[in-house]
Amino acid sequence: MEATLSPQSLGRPGFISDLRAFWAIVRREWTIFKRYPSWIIALFIWPLIFPMMYILTARALSGIDGSGLAVFTKTTGASNFIGYIVVGTTVWMWQNIVLWDVGFALRNEQMRGTLESNWLSPTWRFSYLLGHTGPQLITMTMFILITALEFGLFFGVRFNGSPWLALLVMLVSVPAIYGLGFAFASIVITAKEAHTFVFLVRGLVMIFCGITFPVSLLPGWMQTIATWMPQTYMIHGMRAAAFANASFADLWPDLRALLLFGVFWLTLGYLLFRWMERRARRTGAIGQY
Amino acid sequence: METITLSQPSFATQLRALFTIAKKDWKVFWRYPLNAVSHVLQPIIWVTPVYFMGKAFSTNGQALGFAQYSGTSDYMSYVLLGTALSNFILTVFWGMGFALKEDMDAGVLESNWLTPVSRIHILVGRTLTSLLTTTITSIIMLVLAAALFGFRPTGNIIAAVLTAIPMLVGLYGFGFAFAGIVLMMREANTMVDVSSFLVQGFSGANFPVKSLPYWLIPVSLMLPLTYGFDAVRGWLLKTNTLLPLNAEVTILVIFMFVMLWFGSWIFHRVERKVRRLGTLGQH
Repeated sequence: MEATLSPQSLGRPGFISDLRAFWAIVRREWTIFKRYPSWIIALFIWPLIFPMMYILTARALSGIDGSGLAVFTKTTGASNFIGYIVVGTTVWMWQNIVLWDVGFALRNEQMRGTLESNWLSPTWRFSYLLGHTGPQLITMTMFILITALEFGLFFGVRFNGSPWLALLVMLVSVPAIYGLGFAFASIVITAKEAHTFVFLVRGLVMIFCGITFPVSLLPGWMQTIATWMPQTYMIHGMRAAAFANASFADLWPDLRALLLFGVFWLTLGYLLFRWMERRARRTGAIGQY
Repeated sequence: METITLSQPSFATQLRALFTIAKKDWKVFWRYPLNAVSHVLQPIIWVTPVYFMGKAFSTNGQALGFAQYSGTSDYMSYVLLGTALSNFILTVFWGMGFALKEDMDAGVLESNWLTPVSRIHILVGRTLTSLLTTTITSIIMLVLAAALFGFRPTGNIIAAVLTAIPMLVGLYGFGFAFAGIVLMMREANTMVDVSSFLVQGFSGANFPVKSLPYWLIPVSLMLPLTYGFDAVRGWLLKTNTLLPLNAEVTILVIFMFVMLWFGSWIFHRVERKVRRLGTLGQH
């Protein structure tokens, strides 16, 4: 008896298979993360030492008699300069880590020589980026919790507002922060050598978004640039929610701006990915590095 | 028939090897011109938050609180000088370990090791170009920063440079020891990032160590770099120093001899062990 075979593709993409692919990438990234214990050490040490350098400089600027601190409190309205600085530096570190992790996700695959073969699998290609985002969100949550814990324990920083509203500001910031990471990933894969781009973007956050100072101290033209960066609203909102006892209504201008930036960066990130995907197929550039 | 070795190492061949390594690094450095721009701009970007933060603590541009610890209210000159010195520390202290890691990753370390060149010379050679490029980029950085933030050294430049020399030479000793650790651990990034941050922080790259919490001050006083930063600032900015300047310079000269001996001893021991284990080519 002769068996008949109906022609069909070996891969049958569907929602479930895409979800499985996404989960496989999440698991792989988590395995790689656990493989290098030095990163776990960095997870505990970096949240402490990066802000500490600015905090110790601020301590020196405060003076022996606290006269400098009195000026700072008058200028910023914040009595706790440690909490003030920690919020700004944590936002900077978050964006910096996303740029390196999510922004270089595809580039690292390209360097390892696995991007082209992954590209041939019958999966939704955007799931490669989303898959990298899953473990990244988990480690970043741990990072932020460890930061709060360490500064609470060692420096006596206490919430003077609502932790839930601070959490809300963080959640609303996720689309903007990661959307920027997605857009970045597509640019990196096209421009290849892209460390300088990371330095540029994180440098802009460092200069304009007020990580250790109020944006009002910047010259007018710099303040204008700051208003076009989501990290400015994130830092402002988190400081207000955590230390100034701000209400939801007080935070709404920051939340609204963050939501708008989130829509913008996620859309741009996705569109750039699609553009890069088409361009890579047309030019065959995906396997080059 | 007389037997001779193929290599005949002499002072001249060692010098030639040093020059060849430096020339290769020079070529690689300028192959990526954006890196050079980044070397100039990165330190400026990092000190910008300090500049504006200082403004939040100042009245009419005078950081009077800062002056209580340091003896100068010109905190930006203080910070910029620390940043420029930190560039050199990074180059010498960590540069050699990083260079070895680069060679490991590129797979050329083992073959370099087989050449009849002293291994310490290979390490020193890897710093020559970076010392030159660091000098160029630091000068440009200071000129730019002077225009943006103000940089006003009013003291004795020659005495400051002469003080920095034993500090940098002593750092070569640290660098040799660190290179040994990299050979053994085969991982450099996290170790370099974390320890350079801590060492520079506690030795007062950005602030007077007297302002540290009392329990951290002993840590700071045990680091020879603390006296280097302090003495160079004392000469150039006429700040209050921890000890009389002559005493600080003496500490730096002793540090130089001790570290050169200790660092090369550690490196040779580790290097012998790694060769015996046969792990030189692994990374």
